[in-house]
Amino acid sequence: MNLRHIWAVTRKEFHHILRERSTLILVLITPTALLLLMAYALTVDIQNVPIAVLDLDRSSLSRSFVQQITAGEDLQLYAQVNTLDEIEGLLMHGDIKAALILSPAFASDLLSLRGLPLQIIIDGTEPESGAFAVDHIAWRAEEFINTAISDQIQARGFSIESLQPIDLRIRTWFNPSLKPRNDLIPGLISMVLGMPALSVALTLAHEREHGTLEQLMATPIKRSELLVGKMLPYIIVGLVNVIVIPILAVLWFKIPFNGSFALFFVLSALFLFAILSMGIIVGVFMPTQAAALALSFLVIFFPGFFLTGIFFPIASMPEMMRMEALGLPGTHYAVITRGIFLPGVGLNILWPYAVMLVGLGFAFTGVAALFFKKKLG
Amino acid sequence: MNNKIPAVTARGLTKYFGDFTAVNEIDFEVCRGEIFGFLGPNGSGKTTTIRMLLGLLQPSAGSISVLGLDAHGDAASIRPRVGYMSQRFSLYNDLTVIQNLKFYGAAYGLSEALLPERIQEALQMAGLEGREYAKTKDLSGGWRQRLALSAAILHRPEVLFLDEPTAGVDPISRRAFWDLLYRLVTTPANEETQGGVTVFVTTHYMDEAEHCHRLAFIQRGEIIAYGSPKDIKHQKMSGQVLEIAPSNAVAAVKVLREARDSGKLPFDEVELYGALVHVVAPGMEELQSRITTELRQASIHIEQMQIIEPSLEDVFIASMR
Repeated sequence: MNLRHIWAVTRKEFHHILRERSTLILVLITPTALLLLMAYALTVDIQNVPIAVLDLDRSSLSRSFVQQITAGEDLQLYAQVNTLDEIEGLLMHGDIKAALILSPAFASDLLSLRGLPLQIIIDGTEPESGAFAVDHIAWRAEEFINTAISDQIQARGFSIESLQPIDLRIRTWFNPSLKPRNDLIPGLISMVLGMPALSVALTLAHEREHGTLEQLMATPIKRSELLVGKMLPYIIVGLVNVIVIPILAVLWFKIPFNGSFALFFVLSALFLFAILSMGIIVGVFMPTQAAALALSFLVIFFPGFFLTGIFFPIASMPEMMRMEALGLPGTHYAVITRGIFLPGVGLNILWPYAVMLVGLGFAFTGVAALFFKKKLG
Repeated sequence: MNNKIPAVTARGLTKYFGDFTAVNEIDFEVCRGEIFGFLGPNGSGKTTTIRMLLGLLQPSAGSISVLGLDAHGDAASIRPRVGYMSQRFSLYNDLTVIQNLKFYGAAYGLSEALLPERIQEALQMAGLEGREYAKTKDLSGGWRQRLALSAAILHRPEVLFLDEPTAGVDPISRRAFWDLLYRLVTTPANEETQGGVTVFVTTHYMDEAEHCHRLAFIQRGEIIAYGSPKDIKHQKMSGQVLEIAPSNAVAAVKVLREARDSGKLPFDEVELYGALVHVVAPGMEELQSRITTELRQASIHIEQMQIIEPSLEDVFIASMR
């Protein structure tokens, strides 16, 4: 490898990036914009789920129960209704996501400790909101029992504890506030930082499409020098994002960053190497920029989204997909970003993932170099 | 440096693409310091040949030697010593003139010390002084071709391969381009080679072929004529060319072709050239009066008639039959 040749290509590529505003935007702004957009669109912090209440008991106890249920920001009392038909109408219109029905025997059953007779109807077309409503009603009902009627219970000679045969205490580690964002954003970061792969695929396809690749091949620049020279500027630009994006995550989204930034930076560089090599393969195979764009989405971004375990656990995928997931740099990098952000783990745990990134990077560049040679006859 | 070694030698050069034979066992030799024209219609195998010469494409059979080295095996040693201008405009449109020149200079390994001087020369040659910072896409076609040429010779190559360098360029710019080529072959390329650059140029413009020292005509992958323009005219044209300016050229062609087809007059060719008619036949002096009679009978008046030197276009059409 001749460093002067590599530098010639790298400098030229920087000129392209700085000249073409669209490329500059693609490599510098897109990862940030994408992170903001997806973090807001995909975060499932459900709030103010509208519910209706059909109180058939109409006792003071049932009224205070309803008040307690809708006191927080999680559930919102949309309407007090008098018939089941009204509930159906509200559900059909989508005005409410769930309905709570208190039986005529609500107060008497409760006070005689026969149980808490509640019926909850949820909108099955939106199971997320429905399940949320069930959980929160149950949670608040328990709270109600503990506070509002504990006096009555104790007066009858029972203890609260004796009424709760199961004492389930859930402790969530690493993400104690259980905010989905805390887990989602480090995952998303692993995806948006891969954006330069698209640029590198496009720039190679551009050379082929415009006939400059043939001219390049006739110069003393070797194929490997060309590929490395093409990749370097996008690694450098990608590393700018590696600095900007965590700052955004910490300052804007308040995601805790518990690990070492230096480690994050180094492992991100390895990820960029691996993902850019994928971009290089796409660029080598595709004759035009349009084709390269389409293939990038097919082999880099869609799998990066669905198969890297950001949204769906890899363990629950069919075997074929699990194998494919292992071949994606994003799978290993998502473990790294999540590990460094939340539990703040070090290289002692992350090294196998780092090794995988390096391995994939070399494998992809090897394949690219091989086919690059073949493609030109 | 041994100038006796031909710049390029091709022997039995063949290229198949699947069942299709793009180039079929061609032989030719390009001497040092000459402009060698490689002529042929589109799709005749010109670009395939030039790609094989540059080691970009592996021949199916045959051998190529460039500067005494094997074009495929020694490509790495050949590349720094040759220049190439591909068929399509080969510079980067979004970069400036100077960025393009810097890139190609560095690609050919010119040192930082030598580069500014060479770039200055290139700008001067292309007539682009003062436009260093213009975006390449803002230049007109002719300027861009000259810039591409000056980029291809920044490293002072011994052999320059040009693939249809003037396609789509206006006639005045084409002429300026050829003037540049002449200057290149007459100016010593570098300190070692006393002679000028050797130019291998493909074209389908017949007038440009006349500018070449020697030519090969390629058609459907085979060389059908080879030599200097004068030799080719001599070899390929057994007859002489009579140029007639008749009152009605279309009618005259019809009449003369009928006369040929009925065996009345022994013509090789009757071709329309705008308002003129070219008739090719041996023994033209005798035939002139019979042609006059033939046309007069068809009430076609002859305004002017003379035996002319055949153009390469005449030769090419004659050879393609």
